[in-house]
Amino acid sequence: MLEIKNLHVELEEEGKPILKGVNLTVEAGKVHAIMGPNGSGKSTLSYVLSGRDGYAVTEGSATLDGEELLEMEPEERAAAGLFLAFQYPVEIPGVGNMTFLRTAVNAQRKARGEEELSAGEFLKVVREKAKTLKIDAEMLKRPVNVGFSGGEKKRNEILQMAMLEPRMCILDETDSGLDVDAMKLVAEGVNALRDPGRAFLVITHYQRLLDHIKPDVVHIMADGRIVKTGGPELALEVERNGYADILAEIA
Amino acid sequence: MTAPMTRDARRADTTEARLAAIDLPTGGFTAPARAEALARLGTMGLPARRDEYWRWTDPAKLNAEQPEAGAAFRVDRPIFEGRDKLRLVFEDGVFDAAASDDPVLAGVEIARLSEADRADIHWAKAQYGALEASGQTPVARPFAALNTAAATEGVLIRVTGKAARPLHISYRQSEKTSDVILHHVVRIEEGAELTLLETGTPGARSNVVMEVDVARGARFHHIRPQGRATDRVMVTHLFARVAEDATFKSFTLTTNGKFTRNEAVIEVAGDGATAHIAGAALGDGEDGPFHHDDTVFIDHGAVGCESRQVFKKVLKHGATGVFQGKILVRPGAQKTDGYQISQSLLLDDDSQFLAKPELEIYADDVKCSHGSTTGAIDETALFYLRSRGVPEADAKALLILSFLADAIAEIEDEDLAGDVVARLEDWLARRRG
Amino acid sequence: MRKGSEHMKIERENTMAQGHDTAAELEVREGVDRETVETVQNMGAYKYGWETEIEMEFAPMGVNEDIVRLISEKNGEPQWMTDWRLAAFARWKEMEEPRWAMLNYPEIDYQSQYYYAKPKSMAEKPKSLEEVDPKLLATYEKLGIPLKEQMILAGVEGAENAPAEGRKVAVDAVFDSVSVGTTFKEELKKAGVIFCSISEAIREHPDLVRKYLGSVVPQSDNFFATLNSAVFSDGSFVYIPPNTRCPMELSTYFRINAENTGQFERTLIIADKGSYVSYLEGCTAPKRDTAQLHAAVVEIVILEDAEVKYSTVQNWFPGDEEGKGGIYNFVTKRADCRGDRAKVMWTQVETGSAITWKYPSCILRGEASQGEFYSIAIANNMQQADTGTKMIHLGKNSRSRIVSKGISAGRAQNTYRGLVTMHPKAKNSRNYTQCDSLLIGDRCGAHTVPYIEVKNNSSRVEHEATTSKVDDDQLFYCRSRGMDEEEAVALVVNGFCREVLQALPMEFAMEAQSLVAISLEGSVG
Ligand SMILES: Nc1ncnc2c1ncn2[C@@H]1O[C@H](COP(=O)(O)OP(=O)(O)O)[C@@H](O)[C@H]1O
Ligand SMILES: [Mg+2]
Repeated sequence: MLEIKNLHVELEEEGKPILKGVNLTVEAGKVHAIMGPNGSGKSTLSYVLSGRDGYAVTEGSATLDGEELLEMEPEERAAAGLFLAFQYPVEIPGVGNMTFLRTAVNAQRKARGEEELSAGEFLKVVREKAKTLKIDAEMLKRPVNVGFSGGEKKRNEILQMAMLEPRMCILDETDSGLDVDAMKLVAEGVNALRDPGRAFLVITHYQRLLDHIKPDVVHIMADGRIVKTGGPELALEVERNGYADILAEIA
Repeated sequence: MTAPMTRDARRADTTEARLAAIDLPTGGFTAPARAEALARLGTMGLPARRDEYWRWTDPAKLNAEQPEAGAAFRVDRPIFEGRDKLRLVFEDGVFDAAASDDPVLAGVEIARLSEADRADIHWAKAQYGALEASGQTPVARPFAALNTAAATEGVLIRVTGKAARPLHISYRQSEKTSDVILHHVVRIEEGAELTLLETGTPGARSNVVMEVDVARGARFHHIRPQGRATDRVMVTHLFARVAEDATFKSFTLTTNGKFTRNEAVIEVAGDGATAHIAGAALGDGEDGPFHHDDTVFIDHGAVGCESRQVFKKVLKHGATGVFQGKILVRPGAQKTDGYQISQSLLLDDDSQFLAKPELEIYADDVKCSHGSTTGAIDETALFYLRSRGVPEADAKALLILSFLADAIAEIEDEDLAGDVVARLEDWLARRRG
Repeated sequence: MRKGSEHMKIERENTMAQGHDTAAELEVREGVDRETVETVQNMGAYKYGWETEIEMEFAPMGVNEDIVRLISEKNGEPQWMTDWRLAAFARWKEMEEPRWAMLNYPEIDYQSQYYYAKPKSMAEKPKSLEEVDPKLLATYEKLGIPLKEQMILAGVEGAENAPAEGRKVAVDAVFDSVSVGTTFKEELKKAGVIFCSISEAIREHPDLVRKYLGSVVPQSDNFFATLNSAVFSDGSFVYIPPNTRCPMELSTYFRINAENTGQFERTLIIADKGSYVSYLEGCTAPKRDTAQLHAAVVEIVILEDAEVKYSTVQNWFPGDEEGKGGIYNFVTKRADCRGDRAKVMWTQVETGSAITWKYPSCILRGEASQGEFYSIAIANNMQQADTGTKMIHLGKNSRSRIVSKGISAGRAQNTYRGLVTMHPKAKNSRNYTQCDSLLIGDRCGAHTVPYIEVKNNSSRVEHEATTSKVDDDQLFYCRSRGMDEEEAVALVVNGFCREVLQALPMEFAMEAQSLVAISLEGSVG
């Protein structure tokens, strides 16, 4: 589904290389996890895939179902089925959470040639999904992410994911800053969306999340490259020994 | 020193020339007020660019003896069309009886200045020019004095009960060089309520004064979408006195207009009074020059009052936005809660925002604050929206609307607020891409 | 005080949760030590109000071309300097005193002041500090500024940053119109740093002075600066050569002693490419019934990659409770960040003077240049302060930050006045301004007059201002721990000023902290 080939990325302004040849293939129905030390380029990868400004791709490609992602506008990527749960969800004062969701859902439906959801239908679906994530009505009324706690922001990201029903979901450290219960909620939200037609790329530091969302493949990223790929046991190894051993082994 | 002398002389010349070009009405019941206003104007003179109060807005267009010829502008897309209201229409400053509704509204007395001013006695006698006069300190507002002296028309509104529907003053401009001076007087008696809608372009050049006296426990709600003629030149003054437990709320929407100076002077005079004033201005230089100036003075002289100033501007293609806003808290005006925010969104590099948000505070048990921000659209928020599938142009429009939301929130009536939002969306939609 | 009080509350809750003993809690809470509280208890009001009895030589009273020539001659100046002064004087005669500030003071009679006063013993300039009149040395000793080349011992608290043996600070002491002496000159010379009185610099380093004097604050910049250009008698001169970190802090200590005498000092600081200097300025004056004029000019030139920190503790005599006497302080201070990445930081603690008119400014000409302004202005009794800054952004990616804390008490009026300009070419620049006022009592005033001009859209300007009184909850909390009202106020006020106090060099921060307490004497109850 998602195919990244030899992706090189540098910061547009400073010209500093961040990604130095990332190769990664995520198949439909699979969950891949990426782990790696801070600053290794995990967030950069997720931003480049979703089309954030400020990065220059100097080499390589990234395709979603064979379509070149890197040429598309961010909203086109979203319409194509890509979703990024941000490491730091953005606060937008003045825009109601509901308005935001409805605008997004309908924009994507329109782009795909589907009919827009009526206000009534939309409300029904949101309420349902919000409930399973323990997001109360009051939170839906407030402006997007403004005044939300860390956990609320992350749950709100998962709610958006549930509403938009993307096919390729990237979760950037969605577990950090969450307590055990909140993490379970998030994991349940993700698991509920698992589907043979949908794939996940889960960026995390902790085995904890992977206990709940069982990955099929685990990658280790360091200094802008995927340096090791293995099964779920790789995550356990990181949990036990940190990254040092793995990095030493490949050096 | 010689230099200031010549400056004063030049000021006197400008004033004299401007007055000479006007056919000053003698007036009936307004005659004494007009004479006093003329004397005031003589003393202060018309403003000059180097006056501190006009540092960012050049008064030349208002000082000129004749208005610049603009385009005739007959068709302004109507707003609040579907709402139940009583409409009075003025075309180039002249009352259009045929287009207007019968001025009969329970609990409201309505008269026209040109008619009422034939008599020597009228309830508005004590009020005409009074708030304008007291609003001349600490800074002079010469165009308001000029207006009191020279106004030819206006509406005199006295509200004694809860008005059943909004009163709508609807302006139209059809002549290229109409020079319109209107003076409205509004008195909301104790416990009474009125919503006043003021829409459209009065003339090619307009000078509009509204004096509003809100008595104890009364409520006044003012919504003013200013006309969209790109060529118009306009100066307005809103003078208000808000008594004990009374509420004053005013919202102005400005889209287009080559020159607008909106001044407001609000005396928060009775304990427990509330005064809110808000404005949303959007200018795109591609439609023609855009210079918009909001100059606000909130004068707290009583205990336990609240004031809000919320001014937002969206500027593009060489548009200029100015905000001069001041909160004065007089000695003894304890427990004042004063808040002011002025923000600008610059959509490109040509536009500019100039602001002077002032606090002058002489009482200690108060909460006063102001904030001002200027910058481009938040790129991160834009990306966030786009990553959720919203096309760039829609995302921008949404962010602009959300930027304006706090100002629009000052419109209490949801339907009327909806009409204003629709107008904004319309304005934004025409400027996609 | 929407934001501020929230912040304070959070801190308070945290400390309460920790459950330390009261004193420790308070220390944690506001970063104000016990010393502040003790200072409040022990100090009288203005403690620098005594006078040195010393024989003085005065120029005739008033100002005219002859006086200008006389000052120039007394300083042994070359002709170009005399001409420069005379040109300024000619301009000054044509100028009007500005009246736009929110200051109310009687007309100043510029002809009933002495423009030049010099201790007789200084007739022959002493060649070394040993030759300086012991009375003068004693004066500075008493002010806590020993004119000896000794280590200034850092205080007990927060001394971890200082070397164990203390820190060196070079001092230039200006007494009325003349510089009495400058310490550590030799040691500075070894590093290539020039630190001397401006009169000496005019004689010894004319090329530098001619190149830079008046290049930041032009001769006829404003009424007071123009007067200063004509009649300045002395002041300090600093030159830091390229890629040099000045080996110690430099400071000038101004003392007005003589009666009816104006002080007009001029300071010129040049930080050449890649250099760094931290400069401190202090000032005091005796208590007198009549107002005295002080009109200084400070010019700072900062070249590529250089950095200057300029800190002031202004403690001129503020006048008595009834507003009699005190210094009228009209000061023009400006830094020009000429080179890319040049950086300036102004920090001021303004507690003295009857009238303060002062706007230390930053011209951010270089790309990515930075200007910062941290200010505490306290006005008590009948004091009036109108002070703030200007941030003129001309270069791309320039940054500025303004943090102003104004405190008004008694019948004082305190105004923040500022300008932030983003020129069209200053793309991608930032300004952040936070401007808070605190009112103590209901007879004083606090005012905020910022001007904001933004002429490009890649820049961002944010301005926030709040005005409120001392928070009752905070006061109650302090008092429930045994402090009297005045102590509690001092403590809370110090907390309010904390961000600025932290920007000061350590020795100054301590002095400033106790000054805050002293200047608020008698403001409650
Ligand atoms: N916009 C940016 N500006 C400057 N440095 C950046 C930016 N984005 C990323 N970097 C740098 O790129 C590297 C990778 O960052 P990131 O992708 O956030 O790592 P991770 O998510 O793995 O912790 C870090 O060194 C980070 O500092
Ligand atoms: Mg990251």
